[in-house]
Amino acid sequence: MQVPVRLGPAETALIEQLNSVGATASAERLAAAGLPTRRVESYHYTDLKMLLKAVPPLAAEAPAGAPALNVPGAYRLMIANGAPQASGTAPAGVIVGKAEGSALSTRDDVLVRLNAALARESLSLTLEGSVDPVIQIDRRTEGSAAHAASSARIFVADDASATILETYSGSAEAHLTNHATYVALGRNARLTHISVDLSDAKATHFATSEYHLAEGAQLRTLVIHAGSALARSQIFARFAGSGAHADFTGLNLVSDGQHSDVTLDVSHAVPHTTSQELFKAIARGRSKAVFQGRIVVARDAQKTDAKMMAQGLMLSDEAEILAKPELEIYADDVVCGHGSTCGQLNEDWLFYLMSRGIPRAEAETMLVRGFLEELLDPITHEALHEALRAVVDEWLVGAR
Amino acid sequence: MTTPMLEIRDLRVQVEDREILKGVNLVLPKGEVHAIMGRNGSGKSTLSYALAGREGYEITGGEVLVDGENILEMEPDERASAGLFLAFQYPIEIPGVATMTFLKAAINAQRKARGEGELSTPDFMRAVKDAGQTLNINSDMLKRALNVGFSGGEKKRAEILQMALLQPKLCILDETDSGLDIDALKVVSEGVNALRNGERSMLVITHYQRLLNYIVPDVVHVFSDGRIVESGDKSLALQLEARGYAEFDETAA
Repeated sequence: MQVPVRLGPAETALIEQLNSVGATASAERLAAAGLPTRRVESYHYTDLKMLLKAVPPLAAEAPAGAPALNVPGAYRLMIANGAPQASGTAPAGVIVGKAEGSALSTRDDVLVRLNAALARESLSLTLEGSVDPVIQIDRRTEGSAAHAASSARIFVADDASATILETYSGSAEAHLTNHATYVALGRNARLTHISVDLSDAKATHFATSEYHLAEGAQLRTLVIHAGSALARSQIFARFAGSGAHADFTGLNLVSDGQHSDVTLDVSHAVPHTTSQELFKAIARGRSKAVFQGRIVVARDAQKTDAKMMAQGLMLSDEAEILAKPELEIYADDVVCGHGSTCGQLNEDWLFYLMSRGIPRAEAETMLVRGFLEELLDPITHEALHEALRAVVDEWLVGAR
Repeated sequence: MTTPMLEIRDLRVQVEDREILKGVNLVLPKGEVHAIMGRNGSGKSTLSYALAGREGYEITGGEVLVDGENILEMEPDERASAGLFLAFQYPIEIPGVATMTFLKAAINAQRKARGEGELSTPDFMRAVKDAGQTLNINSDMLKRALNVGFSGGEKKRAEILQMALLQPKLCILDETDSGLDIDALKVVSEGVNALRNGERSMLVITHYQRLLNYIVPDVVHVFSDGRIVESGDKSLALQLEARGYAEFDETAA
């Protein structure tokens, strides 16, 4: 017997918004099921029904402000309140356009469905050859508190290489944003894709990234949560050609009152593909960082090599770090592993640094930076590396 | 009478509610090298950690004066800036912290604590290069994370490199010979001997006489059951080597 779901104000508002854009099927679905609770496994640690208290009105167009993160030399594209903006002359190998609707594939997930219904336009980006400047997709939500959905579709052509930085920010309001990125890597394409949430501390940030890797493609991703009261980044990746490799990495930085979730689902669907997953979290105050990582190896995907690691660093007694690594393996000739560690700063390390004259606070900062080094080290583009380091350092300074 | 570099008066230390140091008394004058010898478990390393200020080493009695200043209320970094340096028996590996970054941070933190200006990068590089040369430390080692992947000998040489750069007044060498082959022992000892002068004092902790052939002490103290039970000149070390620690146990009892 189906027990009717009692809808809260956030759900009621979302249903109204879905109906207002004609997405009646999604509205009905949400009305029947409600937002996912802890009983839905993929939302077990991020109970949206409980966490999402209110939904601001759908975003209207608003003038955009300055970018949250400045990378010298980057080519910047902007999406303001969900709408892709006109941009200057594109560098060689970059073709910029727009497409109707969301770029995401259909998926049984409430955030994906909301994006599909509410994102009217996708920024469309085709990258060919060796693209030199960093491409920044600067997604901003401006004006009074708004619910904004945005989308981008990125195609990295065969043999092309590029670095993309996505930044999420906006005015100091309790925005609710739902962003989507679809990335297809062609044969032997190489891409570094970095996403940094710098939204206001009152905001709610949802982002879904979908990756499709053809033969020989090489991908590195890094998602950093350094803002928002509630953040969830979902990563869905599919290896569709042999010889492809990806490093999926991420960093949850959470302070008092924040809840950040990275949920990863990697599918090794064909033989001879490899991936490494490294996700770290630093939590201070009363905060919560969540990592869920699932690697699925299909029956035919022999010789898959996948290693997943989650590491948490707790800087307060009230912080919570939750990690759920999962392997689902249907092939019999694979190398897969996962691990998870969580702890406080190592007292022996602190003592060693202090015994050389380094004061405690400075020694702690050195160790925290050291903890993050593995994530930032592979980002070899100097200006980008510096910009990301600055994001982390600013967060660390906020600690004191 | 001049102030000794280190004066320990009736020092008592507990670790996890067990008394390990049971009233240590020691006077180490400026410019002298004293050795502390004792078997494993006699409390030698506890003494070195208690002097450096490690957490979990509870001082239940006594005083420790470095150059006339009581250090027991100081944090470990303050003790370092006051001139105390502990060369660890097991130097700690710290992944993610680059050796050069660490060295520069340590030097400048101590300079700052003493009211001196920061060392410029070229001056710092030169100092590291000069100190590294005598210790056979190449730039590859310095590019790695702190002590990570260093062999036992490399770790000990890196400790002495830090000592050379930080120029402490009082060096405590905790089992610096452990894990070293004879060639590495010579390099390390030469590094230590190069730092000996009329102002700097050293406390060399070891349980083998071997090290003392290379770093020749002015005074040898025998440590047993948490206190010093006998002191003498360097011949005491040879006597210990020949006859073992057993006879001193009775002195302690």
